Amino acid sequence: MSPRARVALLALAALILLPGAASVIAGLPPFGATIARYGERINAITPEARHVANMVSAINFDLRGLDTLGEEFMLLAAITGTVILLRGRRGEGKTGRAMRRPGRAVIPRSEAVVLACRIAGPLTALFGLYVVLHATVTPGGGFQGGVILASGTLLIYLGEGYVGWRDAVRSPWLDALEGGGALLFALCGLAPMLTGAAFMQNVLPLGTFRDPFSGGLMLVENLGVAMAVAGGFTQLFLEFMEETREADEPDEPGEESA
Amino acid sequence: MLPYAVAAWLFGIGLYGIATSRNFIHLVGCLGVCQSATYVLLLGLGYRWGSIAPIFYDHPPGTPAVDPVMQALVLTDIVVGATLTALLLVLTIQAYKRGGSLDPEKLRPMRAGSKSGRGQGSSRGKDEERTAP
Repeated sequence: MSPRARVALLALAALILLPGAASVIAGLPPFGATIARYGERINAITPEARHVANMVSAINFDLRGLDTLGEEFMLLAAITGTVILLRGRRGEGKTGRAMRRPGRAVIPRSEAVVLACRIAGPLTALFGLYVVLHATVTPGGGFQGGVILASGTLLIYLGEGYVGWRDAVRSPWLDALEGGGALLFALCGLAPMLTGAAFMQNVLPLGTFRDPFSGGLMLVENLGVAMAVAGGFTQLFLEFMEETREADEPDEPGEESA
Repeated sequence: MLPYAVAAWLFGIGLYGIATSRNFIHLVGCLGVCQSATYVLLLGLGYRWGSIAPIFYDHPPGTPAVDPVMQALVLTDIVVGATLTALLLVLTIQAYKRGGSLDPEKLRPMRAGSKSGRGQGSSRGKDEERTAP
């Protein structure tokens, strides 16, 4: 199909969808005037009911924790699909650690970059942990903290190079982190059922308001999400980097490695 | 009304990019633009003038706050979107390896016979890429 025909088709589709879209747009609430009743109630009730200050965390890990569980498995499925598609026939044999290819020059990094990464890497990891642990009191939580932790490992790559990075970050650990995080989240849902409570009901003590140790089960679920996100995103980066490397021998006969 | 207009514009321009795209990576980027329209729309829907973020640490509970449900939804959206972008880029890499081209128009059906068919396909794709305008 030519680009012109595609645009024409898009215009036709837009024309058909226009009445529906117009009625939806007309039905939108005026901007900034009011918020939905549901959110209003959550803001009013949850601080007392759950002893947490961060409403977004309360929704993600408690009130609508089931949604987050589904999201967690979407994350797991997407990353698993990525890893499987990228590994192809290479399998798991060569992902243990990086080999330095003989005869291939290692591009030297400037000392300033190495120093900056060595200083910033641990600090970034520490900040990631801080964001994860303060999920219930400050803006933050497992998702954001997990991504910050993953970017902390990328600073190791920037400073130490690929071989050093692969020596520090092992693929099986990442698998364990990612799968273990999802498992921990699922167990948080199932464990309360042993005591006769509902799925994912908060059975742990709720703690005191405005204290990092508040929210009971939410902290554990948060930790699970952080593990899964940090492991998963680092794994993504690792697999993409493996893809750009020249393999010692071609993965599949008759095909040059990309 | 401006946030809604921005969201509609982002979504429209992303959709136009998807429709006219000649490159898979460009396509994934346009999908990202479409997705950012959903962030703007959700945050716009949950906003209320004179409200704080839904975090009652510095402000006592009961202070007017914006809708926390929308913010939680945006968080979900971002995480799932990032991993799905990665998945789509991987599919792009594989399509390029097998077909030798990033143009959606040049996709050919994959052959059942794996090795020879794939080698053939990749060499043919390279030729096509060279002759492409």
